Amino acid sequence: MGALRRWLDERIDLASLREELVDRKMPGGLTWWHTLGSATLAVFVVQIVTGVVLAMYYAPSPDHAYDSVRYLEHTVVSGALLRGIHHWGASAMIVLVCAHMVRVFSMGAYKYPREINWLLGVGLLFLVLGFGFTGYLLPWDQKAYWATQVGTNIAGTTPLVGGLLSTLLRGGTQLGAATLTRFYALHVLLFPILLGVFALLHLALVIRQGIAPRTPVLDTEAPRRTSDPAYPAYYRERYARSKGAGVRFWPDIIAKDIVVAAVVVVVLVLLAHFAGAGLEAPADPTDTQYVPRPEWYFLPFFQLLKLVPGSLESAVAVGVPAALAVVLVALPFFDRGSMRSLWHRPVAAGSLGVLLGGVALLFGAALRSAPPPSSVNELGAPLNEMQLAGRTLFKAHSCTSCHALGDLKPDTSSGAIPNAPDLTEVGLRHSAAWMHSFIEDPGRFHPDSKMPTFGPPKLTHQEIEDIAQYLSSLRGKNWATAKPEIQDTFPPPVKRTENP
Amino acid sequence: MSPEASADASPDAEDANVIGRRRFLRWVSGIGSAVIGILVGVPVIRSFLSPALGKTKPSRWIKVAEDIALIDLGVPVRAGFVQDESDAWVEAQVEEAVWLYTDDGEKFKAYNSHCTHLGCSYGYDKASNTFLCPCHRGQFDVKTGAVLAGPPPRPLDTLPVEIRDSAVFVDYTNFRPGVPQKVSA
Repeated sequence: MGALRRWLDERIDLASLREELVDRKMPGGLTWWHTLGSATLAVFVVQIVTGVVLAMYYAPSPDHAYDSVRYLEHTVVSGALLRGIHHWGASAMIVLVCAHMVRVFSMGAYKYPREINWLLGVGLLFLVLGFGFTGYLLPWDQKAYWATQVGTNIAGTTPLVGGLLSTLLRGGTQLGAATLTRFYALHVLLFPILLGVFALLHLALVIRQGIAPRTPVLDTEAPRRTSDPAYPAYYRERYARSKGAGVRFWPDIIAKDIVVAAVVVVVLVLLAHFAGAGLEAPADPTDTQYVPRPEWYFLPFFQLLKLVPGSLESAVAVGVPAALAVVLVALPFFDRGSMRSLWHRPVAAGSLGVLLGGVALLFGAALRSAPPPSSVNELGAPLNEMQLAGRTLFKAHSCTSCHALGDLKPDTSSGAIPNAPDLTEVGLRHSAAWMHSFIEDPGRFHPDSKMPTFGPPKLTHQEIEDIAQYLSSLRGKNWATAKPEIQDTFPPPVKRTENP
Repeated sequence: MSPEASADASPDAEDANVIGRRRFLRWVSGIGSAVIGILVGVPVIRSFLSPALGKTKPSRWIKVAEDIALIDLGVPVRAGFVQDESDAWVEAQVEEAVWLYTDDGEKFKAYNSHCTHLGCSYGYDKASNTFLCPCHRGQFDVKTGAVLAGPPPRPLDTLPVEIRDSAVFVDYTNFRPGVPQKVSA
C-alpha cells in the first residue's frame, strides 16, 4: 500500500492533490444547510447508477416501452425497487436542488465572487427539470402520455415560435414514436453529459473559490456594494480569516455531507419499497375520460395556469418560466449590495417569502382541487388500493370491449365477443375467489366459453387477484344496500394432461 | 474570533479533542458511505444479474406430429411447429423444429434441430443416411445422434418423447451449443 502510494506520488504527485482536495481548509461553522448541494450530487450518482440498469430493460418505442417497464416491474429481480429508487430519486433531485438554491440565496452566497457558480447552478436547475419532464414520458402509460401531451402543448402556445417548438419537442406534429425516442435520447444521452459537465464545473469552482462562509463573517465593516473597488481586498482578508478555525474538508465537513446523503438514500429506498413508482394503464390516445395531472413538482405551475383567464393562459404558461429564468440569471448582476444575511436584505427576504408563500399556496390549492383520485368504481362504490390496481388492469385489458359495465356498453360492431355477461352486478353473484379461478382459466368452468385465458404468464396471480377484488366491488347501482347472494359453482378439479 | 479558533491556538487541545473528533467523523463517514453503497448497490447489482438469477423455464410439451402412422420408418422426419415464445417483453411466435426418428413406429427418438457445435440447423443427407450440418460439416448418426465426423463436441441433443392418442409430443428445450455437456440454454 505504502509502496504503491510512493510509486504514484513520484509520478503524479498525489500528496499535493490530497492537500488541495482532501485536506483543504474550510471556513468554520458550516451548517447542516450547507450539505444540500452534496446531497444533490449523491442522488445524481444514484440516478446514474440506477438509470444504467434501467436502460438495459427498456425499449424506447411505443409498442414495447410499456411492456418493457412492466417486465422490469414484475420479472426482473429487484426491478421494481430499482425503478422506485430512480422515480423517487427524481423527486429528491428537484427538492434538493430547490432547497440548495434557497440556502444559497438566503445566505447571499451568489454574491461576489461566486456569480459564475450561481449561473452554473441555474443551468443545473433547468437540466434537472428537463430530466423530470423527459423521464416522465418513458413508461408510456396514461399518466406519461397525457402529461406530455399537455406539456408539449404548453410549449406550443409560445408566441411566434410555438408551432416550431412543439414540433421539435415531439419530433413531429403528433405525440408518438418519434417523441419517445427524442425524449429518450435527451434523457439518457444529452442531459447526463450536460449535467455531468455542469456539475463538475460547479464543483471545481467550489474547490477553487472555497465554500462561502457563514454570513456574519462578511457583514461587518464591509463596503456597501460588492462593486466597490475596495470590496475584493476586504473579501480576501475576511475569507482568509474565516479559514483560521482549522476545519478541514476531510473529515470535518464531509462527514456531515455523508450523513445527510445517507439519510436521503434511506428515505428513497423506503419510498421505493413501500410506495413504488406506479404504472398506470398503457397510453391510450383515444381515451376521453383521462384527467391528466403532472408530476407533483409541476403542480404549483399547473394550478397557476388554471387560475388565469383563458386569454392570458399562453402568456402565463410561457412567460412565468421565462421570467423566472431571466430573474435567476440576472440576480447576481443587479443585486450588488454587500450584505449577505437575510436580516440585512429586506427586499430579498420579502421576495423569497412571497415566492415561497405563493408556491405553497398554489401547491395547497392544487392538492385540494385534486379530483378524488378516482377511488370509486364506475358505480360510485369506494375502492381500496388492491381494487384500484385491479381497475387499472381491468381497463388495460379492455374488458369492457366485450363486457357491459354500468353505462359502458361494448361496441358490438367492432368484433366484440357476443353474449359476454354484464358485470354491473357481478360482485353480488360471485365471490372474489371464484372470479379469480374463472379469469385464470374460463375453459375449466364452461368448455365453450369464448373468454380468453388470463392465467400466468399473461397475468400474475397477484394481478388476477387485484382484478377479482375489483370485480367483487361491482354491486350494481344500489351497491350501498344490495345484499350479495353468492352462487359459486366450481368445476371438479381436472388433472392436467399437458404437464405429466 | 470564534471559540473554535481560540481553542485551536492551544496545541494540547488539538491533540486530544480534534484528533478524537476526527476519528469519530471518519468512522461516521465510513458507515454512511457503506449504507449508501449497500442500499443502492444491492438492487442495482441484483437487477443487473437478474437474467442469471432466474429460474429455469418449466418444460413445455408440444405436439409435433398428429399421427404416428404417417411417419416413415428408418428415415428421419423433420417436424416443424410454431411456438409462442416470450423474449423478455416481446411476445413472439417462433418457428422451431425437431427431427423424429423411428425404426418400428413405436419407439421414437426426437432430436433438437440445432447442431451441437454452434447451433446451425442441420439437414438429412440421403446418400450417406446421416445428419449433416452445412456450417462446419458436422455429421451425426440418425439412429443414436452420435457424432460421426466434424467438430461437434457432443452427440445431438435428444428430447423426451411421448405418444398420446397416436400423436407425438416432445418436451422441447434448447441447449447451449459448443460445450461437451448437455446444459439447457
